[in-house]
Amino acid sequence: MKLSISRYNPERDVKPYLQDYEIELIPTDHMLLDVLLRLKAQDNTLSFRKSCREGVCGSDAMNINGRNGLACITRTSELREPVVIRPLPGFPIIRDLFVDMTQFFNQYHSVTPYLVAPEPPPARERLQSPAERDKLNGAYECILCACCTSQCPSYWWNPDKFVGPAGLIQAYRFIFDSRDGATQQRLDDLDSDPYRLFRCRTIMNCAEVCPKGLEPVQAIERIRLKIAGMRDQVGGLDVHPPKSPR
Amino acid sequence: MSKRFTGLKAWWVQRVSAVYMLCFVLFLLVSFALHPLQTYPRWHAWMARPSTSAAFMVFFVALLGHMWVGLRDVLLDYARPAGLRRVLLAAVAFGLLGLVLWLLWILLRLQA
Repeated sequence: MKLSISRYNPERDVKPYLQDYEIELIPTDHMLLDVLLRLKAQDNTLSFRKSCREGVCGSDAMNINGRNGLACITRTSELREPVVIRPLPGFPIIRDLFVDMTQFFNQYHSVTPYLVAPEPPPARERLQSPAERDKLNGAYECILCACCTSQCPSYWWNPDKFVGPAGLIQAYRFIFDSRDGATQQRLDDLDSDPYRLFRCRTIMNCAEVCPKGLEPVQAIERIRLKIAGMRDQVGGLDVHPPKSPR
Repeated sequence: MSKRFTGLKAWWVQRVSAVYMLCFVLFLLVSFALHPLQTYPRWHAWMARPSTSAAFMVFFVALLGHMWVGLRDVLLDYARPAGLRRVLLAAVAFGLLGLVLWLLWILLRLQA
């Protein structure tokens, strides 16, 4: 398999460049991460994040043939060669495929991504009806891999002001949680600045690249409708079969 | 940047204007299909009706409002530095204002 991988050593390089690699695939190279790990065994200066290697932790998000995805669930058999691998676009590069996710997590934390309960905890769990619980479907599954936010042009231009799709799907998850007691504060916060929520131009790259098939754009529109005073829709967000990079 | 035409208000402007424009274009298509205006005098008489002129005025104001929000968003994202952005935003605003005045002139002339 032929690969072109973005390399950048801040101590030596002025800017990132593509380095070509060629490696013979073996039967266990099912996913792109398997190939990258064998490449790293040959060239230990190659740097990238990885952890669970099964699409749960979101660590190995990268730009593969122009499209963000998780290397651990991207099948080698479906990839067009040479496979061009770059770090997540729009994020500062630390080294090779490592990106600085500080801004991303600052935006995530800015939406208060935890339950703000109005009352002390009951003796048992806080109850929800099945219909109330259904509203969280399509949002709680987000693994914060940043594939969506990194592929969003609105975030590229205003990363310090626009929360981004990953942060906003988390905002949805708590705004529409019947157990949360800070719904109005959350809506006021997102409406307080014209950039935080409303910079989304419904480009839909987020839904296109989400490795979990989630649709942050729909979460964003539902939050806007709620701020506009429209009645909540029944059920959760749509989930579609994810498309891997090719 | 002023908050008067941003965020939720801009979102409403785009949606309400889009709905009006869609309904108006559909109305025009059906209207022309049922009652074709095949001669200039008939077209002129139809356009000179105050209700038609008012509907067209609202249509073009909706179109220009829609354009302003869209073009402004493109410039906010892509026009850097801030000085260039301000010049381009002013140019777009003056251009759209000019179009409104031109439209008013055309519609008022039809009434004469």
